[in-house]
Amino acid sequence: MIKYLSKSFEFDLVYTVNSFLYILKDLPILRDLLTDDIYKDSILKKIVKTFMIIFFIARALFLKFFYFFIIFVGCYELFPNTFVRAYFHVYFVFTIIGMFINNKLLNSSKKKYFSIALFKMDSNKMAKANLLWNQITNLILNSVCILIFGYLLQSPVIYSISLIMFTFFIRLIGEALNIIFYKKYKYIWYSNTRLYGSVLTVLIITLLLPYINIFIPLKAIVILTVITIILGTIAANYLFTLKDYKLIYQKLFSMVNVMNSKNDKDYLKQAMVEVRDKDKAIDNRKIKGKKGYELFNTIFFERHKQILIRSAKKYSLILLGIYIVISYLITYDQNFSLAVSKVLHNNLGWFVIIMYFVNRGAIITQAMFFNCDHAMLNYNFYREPKNLLGLFKKRLLTISKVNLLPALVVGIGNTVLLILCKDYNLLVIISTFLFIIFLSVFFSVHYLVIYYLLQPFNKDLEVKKISYSFITLLTYMASYMAIDVVMNSVKFSMFGLLFTIIYILLALYLIVKLAPKTFKLS
Amino acid sequence: MKLEITNLTKNYGEKEVLEKVNFTFESGKIYGLLGRNGAGKTTFFNALNEDIEIDSGKFLLDGKKLTPNEIGYATSTPVVPEFLTGKEFLQFFLDINEDKLDERKEIDYYFDLVKLTKEDQDTLLKEYSHGMKNKMQILINVVANPKVILLDEPLTALDIVVQDDMKKLLKSLKKDHIIIFSTHILELAMDLCDEIVAISNKKLELIEKENLNTKKYKDKIISLLKEEDND
Repeated sequence: MIKYLSKSFEFDLVYTVNSFLYILKDLPILRDLLTDDIYKDSILKKIVKTFMIIFFIARALFLKFFYFFIIFVGCYELFPNTFVRAYFHVYFVFTIIGMFINNKLLNSSKKKYFSIALFKMDSNKMAKANLLWNQITNLILNSVCILIFGYLLQSPVIYSISLIMFTFFIRLIGEALNIIFYKKYKYIWYSNTRLYGSVLTVLIITLLLPYINIFIPLKAIVILTVITIILGTIAANYLFTLKDYKLIYQKLFSMVNVMNSKNDKDYLKQAMVEVRDKDKAIDNRKIKGKKGYELFNTIFFERHKQILIRSAKKYSLILLGIYIVISYLITYDQNFSLAVSKVLHNNLGWFVIIMYFVNRGAIITQAMFFNCDHAMLNYNFYREPKNLLGLFKKRLLTISKVNLLPALVVGIGNTVLLILCKDYNLLVIISTFLFIIFLSVFFSVHYLVIYYLLQPFNKDLEVKKISYSFITLLTYMASYMAIDVVMNSVKFSMFGLLFTIIYILLALYLIVKLAPKTFKLS
Repeated sequence: MKLEITNLTKNYGEKEVLEKVNFTFESGKIYGLLGRNGAGKTTFFNALNEDIEIDSGKFLLDGKKLTPNEIGYATSTPVVPEFLTGKEFLQFFLDINEDKLDERKEIDYYFDLVKLTKEDQDTLLKEYSHGMKNKMQILINVVANPKVILLDEPLTALDIVVQDDMKKLLKSLKKDHIIIFSTHILELAMDLCDEIVAISNKKLELIEKENLNTKKYKDKIISLLKEEDND
């Protein structure tokens, strides 16, 4: 068992270290400095290995401490008068939630697949070794934190010891129940979203009880702990004598399942841009009379209605709902009306981040690559500058049109709010409206342009260019920072319009000049 | 050693892919599993390896239930831990399976079997070509010494020199193993295999060996595989 555990850690460590070195080697300056043999037992590799071990330990300590700290501070802020009781109540319910959602044994991962299918590790030994390790490390970390925060709360030690025991044994019960459920129903219970949702809802409602001054009594916690210890011991016995891990893991971690693992972020991305069944058949009226790239573009957007048109409609409806609620509140509450008016006159930056989130540019470029360009870029005719730029224009037009719908809701919504607040002039209305529309066009252009200029994806939709990640991060940060800008809305709109127009012109110029060279497979 | 397949049925929804398949494979022979695209070759392997649920059927190895541990399965799209180097991958494998090996040899010995250079050994598997990943996968499956070796189109991505080496390696292994090798390249199957099994009309069918290299034999296989169109 110890051999399996140590091999499993070593595998994890080497895998992470190599991944880290791979990223290092991809960075602009380091790319030239680092040679191909860094994966050999180099000094650099040893240093990174040591650094990773320290990092893993520090992260585990920090996360655990942070978890307790958040509960502690949260309870102190929200329930200053019933602080101690609230702390125990919240921690107790959180731990029960953890029992349902924090299962480790049946989580599928590539690592487990490699261990069982490729390295032919004994599933029974592997499962038990990992379970034991998780239990022991959690016991140590939880004990330290519970005792420290219990001391700060000046609560009797019996309650802290009770919580330590409760946390330790309830995890065992959770793991055992998860396996029993799987064996009976042949699926992991939390993959059934309705069931998962119901259980979580009940628990979250329980979490809200302190608001109406209802707490789980401290004595009940002690009694429940005793019951948990008894049930947990039975669960531990079940888990450590079970011989079915091999069978369960073979079913659960087959190649097909693991490669499609919900934990795999590339898979998630791919699933997001997948063409939905109902979009596969296209209404003939939409393509009638169209040919060439016009037809090509229409088919593409018709097949991606779900992530583009339907999603834009959904956002528009949500925004509409929000505007209706705000309009209603404005007419009833003078202070609220003043606050809204203030935002619309001085804090237009808020709309930058709103339009950032509403825009579908980023995801649609991923869909373009994964479902279309990834294959088409293999053909020379597709890469010809004339065809490339022609399709770019068509795509830009369609994306801008789709994104215009939520932009119109925001633009018109703002106009209505200004009128309802009775604090407006025509210049403010027009400039704000135009600013929102241009902002929407800006984001549409932005994502398509950086896609065409950098083409960062590989066939699995992994981002392979650090410059792309940097620009998308910068876009987010700039949009976020715009919130803090306090400026007269007419002035802000004018600046915004000017910037957007210059950016769009510059971007289009760069596309014409560079895209035929840059838009290619990585 | 005998691998008996009894009443294997596998459906994907309405579509029946394998229907009451009965067949016996024996050690000492390399079986070439031939079939058209979508005939069910990979489904058959996935069923044996318990990677998919089957609707019915039993697999017995010398009368006892076959377990995935007794199978070495090299998939057509090789799956390897991409952020390990070739050497680390093999090292881990040997460490974990030490007790299953007859004799643990120097690591270079294993790499020599599949002609991977020193430089390749210290390269991340992520940077391996498809063919190199295939070699690595076959190597792992050979080293583990499983009783049944399933190879799903493994040689097509390899260059002709390595292909030849791999053929020799497989031939040397056949005495103590049951080797089933799927391909849709008829020439490759005829060159390497002792028996040709066609997968057509949802069944496995042994094509009686006449003279393996005659045009008549080739035509016989093709016409059998074509039959599906006429059904």
